[in-house]
Amino acid sequence: MKEKIFHFLASLLTGILFFTISCTPGSCFEETNTYVKAYFYSSSSGKTSAPDSITLYGLNKNSDKIYNKTVKKQPASFPLDASVPSCTFVLRINGIADTIAFIYTSYPHLISKECGYTFYHSIDTPVYSRHQIKKITLRKNTITTLNEENMRIFY
Amino acid sequence: MRKICAYFISLAVILPWNQAFGQKEPKLPDTVDIPLKIRAWIEVAGPVIYLTDKNNLSCEGYLSADLNEKIGVFAGGGYANYKYSQYNYDYLSSGKYFKAGVDFNLMKPEKSIGKYWAGIGIHYGLSSYLTEVPAFSHENYWGKITSSISEQKRIGHFIEFAPGFRAEIFKGFTIGWAVTLRKLISAGTGKDLSPIFLPGYGTGNKSLSTGINYFLIFSFKYKTIKVEVKPEPVDETEEGATPPTQGGTTISR
Repeated sequence: MKEKIFHFLASLLTGILFFTISCTPGSCFEETNTYVKAYFYSSSSGKTSAPDSITLYGLNKNSDKIYNKTVKKQPASFPLDASVPSCTFVLRINGIADTIAFIYTSYPHLISKECGYTFYHSIDTPVYSRHQIKKITLRKNTITTLNEENMRIFY
Repeated sequence: MRKICAYFISLAVILPWNQAFGQKEPKLPDTVDIPLKIRAWIEVAGPVIYLTDKNNLSCEGYLSADLNEKIGVFAGGGYANYKYSQYNYDYLSSGKYFKAGVDFNLMKPEKSIGKYWAGIGIHYGLSSYLTEVPAFSHENYWGKITSSISEQKRIGHFIEFAPGFRAEIFKGFTIGWAVTLRKLISAGTGKDLSPIFLPGYGTGNKSLSTGINYFLIFSFKYKTIKVEVKPEPVDETEEGATPPTQGGTTISR
């Protein structure tokens, strides 16, 4: 019995030793950016439906597009500006433009020692124009690095 | 006749061996004297690491007392000062910590004789620390943001399992080491701002932390106890394997 305990102890020590050596800090492999992940839905059928093309950019940043006539994009990711409490995007779905404004609070979040800090956001229901967009519903108002559905855009 | 010869030859060969083994086998004493000690511990790995890495200082000291030949109580604390910097953030953490618990010696008393220890310590740790992010930057579509998180005082706690070995080098002086496996109970922060370093624990944003401690231990005896030596239970398989003598006599039949 004693020998078994010693063998167990020796194995445990060796295991922890290898674990310690193998866990030295390395590079950042995690997602560091947070996005509002928006899924597109058909307003007629209520089912997911990626548009034929979308173009997305920040208001007054039309030379710097996030998506430029991107085909069948699902979901669309909206990066928020953590330095201000709101930001507005221009979203062109199948050639027809709408604006979506987000109002939110931002707070820092530690990703990991290797990656450092990012900003998480807590958003309110977005304000939007209704040229192509019929309705926007908020599914999860905490915006993190996780891959989850935050918002539904019906068009 | 040949069988009788074989019998006597067997006896001639086997009997002296049996006698020799019988004489050589030391008779175990019924009891063994175990000195119970009070110990003062100094952890040396932390200061040694500090000589090579000036951003990571850790000093620990402990007191322990043997309750009996198996169990000792352990308490003490330390101070840690940790700085970390990389391309997108700077981090500072410093504070005091306290650990207390029980050490179990798994060695037999007749082998440990108060000088050797091989076992496991189970300790509770409490850390009172300051954490600060003087600067961090984050870049996305909208540009680069530089921000900071002001100094905050936090209290964290954890459980530590410390299997290891110790040996008395000369009277009153022992060296030893332990591999530590720590389980974080709480870092005292919200889930968003876990400490990168929790004094006494290690990497604070992970629920498990490992490390190695090396100790210099000064001790003095406060009491001696007599501990009964329990004989090893004899296995049935050993009994079956014992009689080569019977095997010898079998040949003569």
